[in-house]
Amino acid sequence: MKKILATLLVVAMVLSLAACGDKNNTTNNSSNNTPAGAVDMTKSCSLTMWCIAVETDSNRASYEHAIADMKAKYPNIDFKWEATQNDDYKPKIKAAFQADAVSDIFFTWSCAFLGEFVKAGKVYCLDEAYKEFADKIDMGRMCKNTTYDGKKYGVPLTMNIVALFANMDILKSVGYDDVPATYEDLLKCCEALKAKNIIPFGCAAAADQTWCVTEYVEPIIEKACGAKVLDDIFAGNASWDNADVAKAVNIFQDMINKGYFDPDGAGLNNDTVKNNFIAGDYAFYMNGSWNCADFAKVDGLNVKVSEFPVIDASKSKLGQLIGGPSDTLAVWNGSKNAAVAAKYTLEMGQLLSKYGYLDGCGLPAWKVDYDISNINPLTKKVAEIVNNSDYMVLFGDTAMKAEDADKYLKEIAKVYGGEVNGTTFTSDLKNSIR
Amino acid sequence: MKRKTTDTISIIVFLLPALILFFGILVLPMVLSGYYSLFEWNGVGDMKFINFGNFKEMFTSDLVPMKAGLLHALLLAGLSVGIQLPLSLGLALMLGRGIKGERFFLSINFLPVLISTVVIGKLWSAIYTPKGMLNNLLRSLGIIGEKNILWTNDGKNGKLLLACIIPMLWQYVGYHMLLMYAGVKSVAPELREAAKIDGATTWQVDRHVVIPSMKQVLKVSVIFAVTGSLKAYDLISILGGNKNSSAAVPSTLLMNQMFDANRVGMGSAIAVIMIILCFAFAVLINFLFRERD
Repeated sequence: MKKILATLLVVAMVLSLAACGDKNNTTNNSSNNTPAGAVDMTKSCSLTMWCIAVETDSNRASYEHAIADMKAKYPNIDFKWEATQNDDYKPKIKAAFQADAVSDIFFTWSCAFLGEFVKAGKVYCLDEAYKEFADKIDMGRMCKNTTYDGKKYGVPLTMNIVALFANMDILKSVGYDDVPATYEDLLKCCEALKAKNIIPFGCAAAADQTWCVTEYVEPIIEKACGAKVLDDIFAGNASWDNADVAKAVNIFQDMINKGYFDPDGAGLNNDTVKNNFIAGDYAFYMNGSWNCADFAKVDGLNVKVSEFPVIDASKSKLGQLIGGPSDTLAVWNGSKNAAVAAKYTLEMGQLLSKYGYLDGCGLPAWKVDYDISNINPLTKKVAEIVNNSDYMVLFGDTAMKAEDADKYLKEIAKVYGGEVNGTTFTSDLKNSIR
Repeated sequence: MKRKTTDTISIIVFLLPALILFFGILVLPMVLSGYYSLFEWNGVGDMKFINFGNFKEMFTSDLVPMKAGLLHALLLAGLSVGIQLPLSLGLALMLGRGIKGERFFLSINFLPVLISTVVIGKLWSAIYTPKGMLNNLLRSLGIIGEKNILWTNDGKNGKLLLACIIPMLWQYVGYHMLLMYAGVKSVAPELREAAKIDGATTWQVDRHVVIPSMKQVLKVSVIFAVTGSLKAYDLISILGGNKNSSAAVPSTLLMNQMFDANRVGMGSAIAVIMIILCFAFAVLINFLFRERD
C-alpha cells in the first residue's frame, strides 16, 4: 500500500512539473492580421512591459506619469511593468527573445538592435496602428530608425543628441564669456585652462564605459569628415578604410596627448565624471543631451550647451549632429493581445515623449501640443540646436548591428588607451567588420 | 521474481524526477550548447551551419581572445592552488589547534564568502578608483608619485588582471579554510597525542599526521579551486566588464560574444570548451590524488 501511495505521489510530482510548461508560449499570429481600427480597447485584458526606467533613471518620472495616465484611461487593462538597469536589460531581452518569452511591450533601441528582432519575425508590425496617429508625428524623420523594408515596428519616445556642456564660471576664469565657437578657439581655450591647471575635458573610459568615448570621437569625426561619410560607414554603405576618418581619430588622440582630458578618466565611470563636472573639476563635458535636466537642477551651476565646433569647414558644418530618435517601445509578435498592445504602446509613447521633454530628459519624438514654457533653458537650447540641424547621424553603437558595434567599441577603447592610432583603427575595423 | 520487478519499478519511479531534472537542467543544455556551437547564429534569426568554424576562429582570431582567456584562467588556477590553498591550509591548521578565539577568527575569515560577490566587487572598485584608498595608501608610502595607477583600466597602462586576481584570491580563502578546518578537526586527537609523546613538534604533527589524514579534503579543495578559476566570472565582470581583453577569462568572453555581440554560436563554443576543461581538470586531479594513495 505504501509503495502504491509513494508511486502515486511521484507520478503526481512529475505531472505537476510537466504542468509548469507555458501553454501560452506559442506565437499567436492570428492577432497580427487584426486591423488596428477594429481594436476593442474596452475589453478586459492584461499587458506587460519591460523597460530600463529603473528608480535611478532620469526617465523614471516620465514613465510613472505616463503609466498612471494610461491606467486611468484604460482601467479594464491590467498593466504591469518591470524595469531593469540598462546594462542588464540587453542580455535579458536577447535571452527572452531566444526563449520566446518576452513581455507584450518592450523597450528597445532603434536601428540595428531592434532590426535583428524584426528580421527574425519577432516584432509586431505597427503600420495599421500608426494610421490613427499619422498627424501626431513626423513619421519620415522620427520613424526612420524603426522602419524596416518600409514597415514601421517601433514607437519613438524621446530624441537625444551629443552635446558639448561647458562650465561658464570656469571659462570666464580664463577669459571666455561664451563657449568657443571655432575649433581653433576651442584649442586655445584648452591651452588657457591647462595653464591654470584646470582639466578641459572629462570623459569616462573605465570598463564598459567606452560609449562615453564615442561621445567625443563621433562628433570629432563628423565635424572633420562630414556627416554623410560617418552615416554611410555606420550604415555599412562605406568602408572604414577612410583616410579622413583616420586623421579625425588622430585629432582626438592629439587632444588626449596634449593633456586636455582627465588622466584618471580611463579608470572612471560616467557617473563619477558627470559628478566631477558638476563639482567644477572640468571645463567641458561632452555627453548626451539627456543630462540637461540633471545639470539644470543643480543650484549655482552655470552651464551652457552647444554643439562641437567644425574642424574642417570644407567637409562639415554646424548643424551636423550625432544622435536622433533611439529610445523606442515595440510590441512582441507573440503577444496574445498584440493589437491592443500596439495601440496602447502608441498612446503611451506619445505620453512618454511629452513627459520626457517636460522633465528635460530629451527632445520629443512626437509633435508638441502642450505648454512648454517651464522647460529648462538647457533643453530649450538643445531643441534650438536640433531645429537648426540638417543632418543627424545616429550613435554608432546603436546604428551598427551588435557584432559590429562590439568590435567598434573595443577599437574605440584602444584609441583612448593609445594602443592604436587613427590608421590602425580604420584598418582594423575595415578588416574585422564584415 | 515478482517482488524484484516491483522493486525495480519503484526504483525507476523514484529516480525519475531527479533524472528528469538532471537531464533537463544539466545534460540537455550541454548537448544544446554543443549543437549551437556548430552554427553561426545571432540567437533569433536563421542558423548557418559552419562546422567547427567557431572553434577555429576562437583560437586563430584576435577578435575573440580565447587563448589569452584560457591563459588568464590557468594563471588564476595556478595562483589559487599556489597561494590561496596554502593560505587556507595554514589558517585551518592554526585554528584547528584550538587557539584562543578560534570561533571568532573562523567567522572573520569566512565572512568574505558570505558577502555577495557584487558587493565585494563594488567595494574593491571603490578601493581601486584612481583617487581611491589603494592609490592614496601607495602615495603615502612613497611608492607612487602624483600620477594615479589606473587599476581597472583595460589598456596597456592598466593593471586590470592584477586588480581582479587579488580580491578573487582573498574572497575564497575563507571557503577553503572552512573545508580544511573540518578536515583538521576530523583527525583523531589520539594520533596527535601519540606523535607528541614521540617527541614531534607542532609543525611535525601537522606535516606528518594531520595533512596526510586530510588528503580527500585537499583533493576537493583543489578541484573546487581549479574548476572555480576556469569558471571565474563575477568579480572580473564587475571590475573589468565583459569587453575587456587584458583580464578576459572564458566566462567573460562567453558573455561578451553571446550577449554583446549576439553571437550565440560562438558563445556556445566557448561554453563547450569550458565544460570540457572543467571535466578534464576534475578527472586529472582525481587521478593525481588517487595515484599517490
